[in-house]
Amino acid sequence: MLKIENLVVNYGYISALRGVSMEIKENEIISLIGGNGAGKTTTLMAISNLVKKAEGSIVFNGINITKMEANKIVDLGIAHVPEGRNIFKQLSVEENLIIGTISDKKITRSKVNEKCEEMFLLFPRLKERRKKPGGSLSGGEQQMLAIARGLMMKPKLLMLDEPSLGLAPIIIEEIFELLQKVKTDGMTILLIEQNATMALNVADRGYVLQNGEIVLTGTGKELLNNPDVKKAYLGI
Amino acid sequence: MYILEQLVNGLCQGSIYALMAIGYAVIYGVVGLVTFTYGEIIMMGSFSAFYYFIAFGDNLLFALVAGFITAALVGVIVHKVCYQRFLDAPRYISLICTIGMSMFLKNFATLVFGSEMKGMPTFFEGKFISLAGIRINYLQLMIMGIVILFSVGLTVFLKKTRIGMKLRAVSQDKKAAALVGINVKNTTLLGNCIGCGLGGVAGILLGVYYNSVLPTMGGMAGLKAFSAMVLGGLGSITGAAVGGVVIGVTENLGIAFASSGLRDVFAFALLVVVLIVRPQGLFGKKGN
Ligand SMILES: Nc1ncnc2c1ncn2[C@@H]1O[C@H](COP(=O)(O)OP(=O)(O)OP(=O)(O)O)[C@@H](O)[C@H]1O
Ligand SMILES: [Mg+2]
Repeated sequence: MLKIENLVVNYGYISALRGVSMEIKENEIISLIGGNGAGKTTTLMAISNLVKKAEGSIVFNGINITKMEANKIVDLGIAHVPEGRNIFKQLSVEENLIIGTISDKKITRSKVNEKCEEMFLLFPRLKERRKKPGGSLSGGEQQMLAIARGLMMKPKLLMLDEPSLGLAPIIIEEIFELLQKVKTDGMTILLIEQNATMALNVADRGYVLQNGEIVLTGTGKELLNNPDVKKAYLGI
Repeated sequence: MYILEQLVNGLCQGSIYALMAIGYAVIYGVVGLVTFTYGEIIMMGSFSAFYYFIAFGDNLLFALVAGFITAALVGVIVHKVCYQRFLDAPRYISLICTIGMSMFLKNFATLVFGSEMKGMPTFFEGKFISLAGIRINYLQLMIMGIVILFSVGLTVFLKKTRIGMKLRAVSQDKKAAALVGINVKNTTLLGNCIGCGLGGVAGILLGVYYNSVLPTMGGMAGLKAFSAMVLGGLGSITGAAVGGVVIGVTENLGIAFASSGLRDVFAFALLVVVLIVRPQGLFGKKGN
């Protein structure tokens, strides 16, 4: 579905990615783990074409999206829930959800409402605050809103940058269950996490990123049992 | 009575400032940058109406619509020259470019339209109504009506339409906007054009109210628009509208109590005082 080859990204003199290659197949959950500054966020930004790539190619469902404009990539069916959430602070919670459907020109009003209600069912806290501005939500609520906005986009590939950040353990568990549920609905998921145990538990496969390079890859189980991973990321 | 009449004058003049400031706020929102060309956009709108009046008769409605479009088209040029080419460059480059553009337009107008003051047609021949002894010109009523119409129209457009939602999203967070599939470039261009169009309309009203158009009228107009927006809170549309009215009223009441030569002093003194007490402006949010 998504094929990344030899991706190189530099920020001035800093090289953030040094030749990353990954592949994501239809209906998989892929976890990308790695320590601070490993280049995880940069990888997603490069896929969404929000940073300049020095080298490499990215192909999505047979279409080369390496140099495509960010909004067109979204139109192809890739939703990116960014690190730091980037919800619209002055739009209401409901508008933040509705805006997830903004590039779907044919969608009807009632369909939009229906999808909003679906999200409110998943995240009841958002329902209580539907008329409040997004900026008035707590950090965890904003995270839920960002995820819900991503789901509103009904993407083929959902990319999440540390969705568990700042959430209570119970809610993290709910979100991971949710990911498995949307997977059964046919979605493909690329998940970035520091929370490696959980991320690898739900993942079909995983990649370990270190200093801008993929150092390990395997099924979720394999990585969970890998001694190096255990030592570096699971704290065992 | 004189004071109340000055209040009415202030409200009318303030409503023109308000429309200018609203346009400025829209531009500031989508572009994320102050512009020094806005005064000249106002001037170009005003001049375009001057020629539309000559060519098509004293049809104000037509002039307003055509003036809006003309100013919006000048906005396209500003966008292509000053913003689009420097998207990845440091922001101050765009800023400096708008200064250059401002000088260019001023000189262009002087060369092509001539440096002398030109008169606008008069509407309603000075007719007025008396309300409890206060004189209110038809012209003043009409100007305030037009401003209200455009402000309400803009608000509905921004709040109720999908394009309006895109404009608001781009004003708040360009990265997030791109990530929900909004074409940020085109939306910014559109917002810039709408803002310029509103500036053009304000310029026409200014020209009609003072019965004059000048290539150099943009300097003070742009400054007033900017002050009104800052007074209201950077980028806040409601704030810009209130800021404009407050400045207009202050100026005219100031004239009533002191000398008319001090008109601009009052407005800017008020701005300084408000910014010392409330740096984020009347309607601005802290930290913005
Ligand atoms: N805008 C930027 N300018 C300069 N350097 C940057 C920028 N963004 C990231 N970097 C650098 O690129 C490298 C990779 O950063 P990235 O944000 O991709 O890491 P990450 O794996 O997402 O880390 P974290 O888990 O802390 O979010 C880091 O060394 C970082 O300092
Ligand atoms: Mg990161």
